[in-house]
Amino acid sequence: MSEQIAFWILSAIAVLGALVAVRKRNLIHGVFALMIFFAALSGLFLLLLAEFIAAVQILVYIGAVGILLLFAIMLTERVAGDDGRRMTSRGWFWGLVVAAAVFVVLLLPAIQQWPTPEVTQAPDPSVEELGHKLMNPYVMTLEVLALLLTAALIGAVTAAQGMRKPKEEGSPE
Amino acid sequence: MSLELIRDILVATVPLLLIFPTLFAFTTWLERKALARIQNRIGPNKVGVPLTRYGGRFSLFGLGQPMADGIKMLFKENIVPRDADRLFHLLAPILALIPAMLVLCFLPIDFPWINNIQDSVKAFMLDGAVIFFFAITGLNTLAVFMAGWASRNKYSLLGGMRAIAQMVSYEIPLVLSAVIVVMMVGSLNAAEIANAQAGWNWFIFTPWGLAAFIIFFIAALAETNRSPFDLPEAESEIIAGYFTEYSGFKFALFFLGEYIAMFAISGLAVTLFLGGGAGPGVAALPWLSVIWFLVKIFALIAVMIWLRGTLPRLRVDQLMGFAWKFLLPLSILNIFIAGSALHLLAGGRLAGLDEKQPILRQLMEGANPLVVAGLWIGALLILYVAANGLNQLSRAKVRPREYKYAE
Amino acid sequence: MSLLGGGIFKGMAVTLRNFVGSYFYKDRLTTNDYSWRPSDKLPQHAGEYPKEEGEQLRDTTTVTNYSRNFPMLLHDGSEPMDTIRCVACQICERECPPQCIYIEKSTEKKENAGGKPQFYPAKFDIDVSVCMSCQICVEVCPFDAIVMNSQFELSTPDRFGGLLLRRDDLLKSNDYYHNIHPEEAAARDKRIAEEKAAKEAKKKAAAEAARKKAEEKAKADAEASEGTPDIQEDAE
Repeated sequence: MSEQIAFWILSAIAVLGALVAVRKRNLIHGVFALMIFFAALSGLFLLLLAEFIAAVQILVYIGAVGILLLFAIMLTERVAGDDGRRMTSRGWFWGLVVAAAVFVVLLLPAIQQWPTPEVTQAPDPSVEELGHKLMNPYVMTLEVLALLLTAALIGAVTAAQGMRKPKEEGSPE
Repeated sequence: MSLELIRDILVATVPLLLIFPTLFAFTTWLERKALARIQNRIGPNKVGVPLTRYGGRFSLFGLGQPMADGIKMLFKENIVPRDADRLFHLLAPILALIPAMLVLCFLPIDFPWINNIQDSVKAFMLDGAVIFFFAITGLNTLAVFMAGWASRNKYSLLGGMRAIAQMVSYEIPLVLSAVIVVMMVGSLNAAEIANAQAGWNWFIFTPWGLAAFIIFFIAALAETNRSPFDLPEAESEIIAGYFTEYSGFKFALFFLGEYIAMFAISGLAVTLFLGGGAGPGVAALPWLSVIWFLVKIFALIAVMIWLRGTLPRLRVDQLMGFAWKFLLPLSILNIFIAGSALHLLAGGRLAGLDEKQPILRQLMEGANPLVVAGLWIGALLILYVAANGLNQLSRAKVRPREYKYAE
Repeated sequence: MSLLGGGIFKGMAVTLRNFVGSYFYKDRLTTNDYSWRPSDKLPQHAGEYPKEEGEQLRDTTTVTNYSRNFPMLLHDGSEPMDTIRCVACQICERECPPQCIYIEKSTEKKENAGGKPQFYPAKFDIDVSVCMSCQICVEVCPFDAIVMNSQFELSTPDRFGGLLLRRDDLLKSNDYYHNIHPEEAAARDKRIAEEKAAKEAKKKAAAEAARKKAEEKAKADAEASEGTPDIQEDAE
């Protein structure tokens, strides 16, 4: 019962947050609404007893992605963005169609009652199990991903540094 | 929802909400007194027992000061700038307090009343408690940014920007130094980490643990915006940064949030490195562990105050350089050292360890004392040399300042 | 090679010595706890420290000869407005970084201490709450009219009027200045006297030179016996 109540409250917060994030003209308000959505999602993960995913949801999406968005907004002009431009694009009709199509496709298994694969073992979302999985079968994947991210980081740094060089040569101060 | 569950939740949370704000009030007094003495002043010494004129004989070293401050804050005018974002201006102090309060429940303090409640309510029993701690303390950044942005004031915004850059940078060494402890215990569970250090097996007494503790403490100072890393709220540069437009109780909330965050991060440092509630006499009297935990927290806070009275503020480029060029490489090297040391200690029996027991303690059982001593000295030496080298490398290339009058 | 981070520990040792020492040594805790007293028994200036019966005071006073807190206007004689040095040139008003000085120039001139007719400030207000005690007004004043006072008990229950000091509050005699900052005042007076003497010597020399020149000119003119139109100019 209490799980049900918590689920509905969190879902309502998530949906409202997502709606506000999309509809709000003020960019900063939009970003914070998005973060509320992320936080509610993390709460939903907690309800599913996936505490590690919940923590990572907060850590990565709010702590990193959200802050990155804020940084990007702060580094652009017209921070508030309170101008009267229309928010809905002209292709709203096709957008609606695509959204409906995606929704139907997602619901197809439920509608047609396709045979789902038998669940032989209940998934264990505990931190311990995750750790074992990450360190044994998926350790290669993890390392490759880490390497990729490091490469991206180094690439970004070099790209940012490379842009400065010609300027220094061109305009001696 | 059963009544028992509600009772347990209240028993678990309400004492935290009462104890730590009370300690906060005491800490502000302590800080003002200590800073005053460091600067050859007396500090607050007037406010004592209420309704006795001037406090007089009953001034009690000014212990009534925090109460008077609180009352003053409550009655102050709430000023919101005309162009400010009213909603965010109101929400920011609340958002600053919530994460700080929330992470308190991840501290494995064995309050006597906590033994009677069910395990599912004890937040520190979560398997991922340490990760949760870092995730939720990260939210503090948002509150600071919100405050800076909502004030519509260039100094506030500068403070907010500085805060984000600083907190994001210092979170990495903070987490990486906590990883050392996770490696030594083999668990992210705060209670298990604390139990693994029972007796005198504190992780600060290992070379990599010591280095990690120092890195952790420095990064914690930066995370909580304490001097010498108080750039986001530098009074002399950007007139208190994101606090600039806050008055009255909103300001008090920010202040409270900042100090609670100090308690929380000190508590985590105690959990990770200083043995949690471990200390003399705990085996005989279990409730002593609470006292030890709080004493250790206060020891760390005293050092923070002491540092605040000693060190001048860093420059922004020094701040960033210190995080990225010194702390980050050092903490990564520290992880390598800890990993190889654990392997050397294990000598091939790492796979056969009991998962439910702390790793380091199992390895130490039956280890050759000579090997251990060699490892300790070698690791310390490598870390010190590396730190020295990094220090030379990360220094900004400037001539040493020539003093005309000093010395 | 010094120990890594040794500077921090050195600094911490210094502050620890201060902290512990303040409980044991008087020279480590220079603050006198005077604020219990009624306001008329409070010290206002250097050396002035009214002791109460049975009060244990430390040797140090709260205000030394070198403390500077807030500007004041100097006058030389007994009647302040007759001998005020300020001529309302408004240089300090322009130079003041926080813009806390407000001057209104008088419309007519009046003789000052030097016996010269000069303008004087009809209004000279300084806002205590804005002043940052930078002493720039003192530096720029060409007339030695504004100097720093060491008075520090400036708090007042009146938030608006009480923090705006008027001309008459700011006026202090030169004797008072000598009393609070003896060395600085003596040096300043000496410099003023020297400048005055130098000026007079220069004036005398100039007058002498002019007289000589005129004499020579007159001689030459007498010799040439023909007048030229620029005699008058030379005579000046």
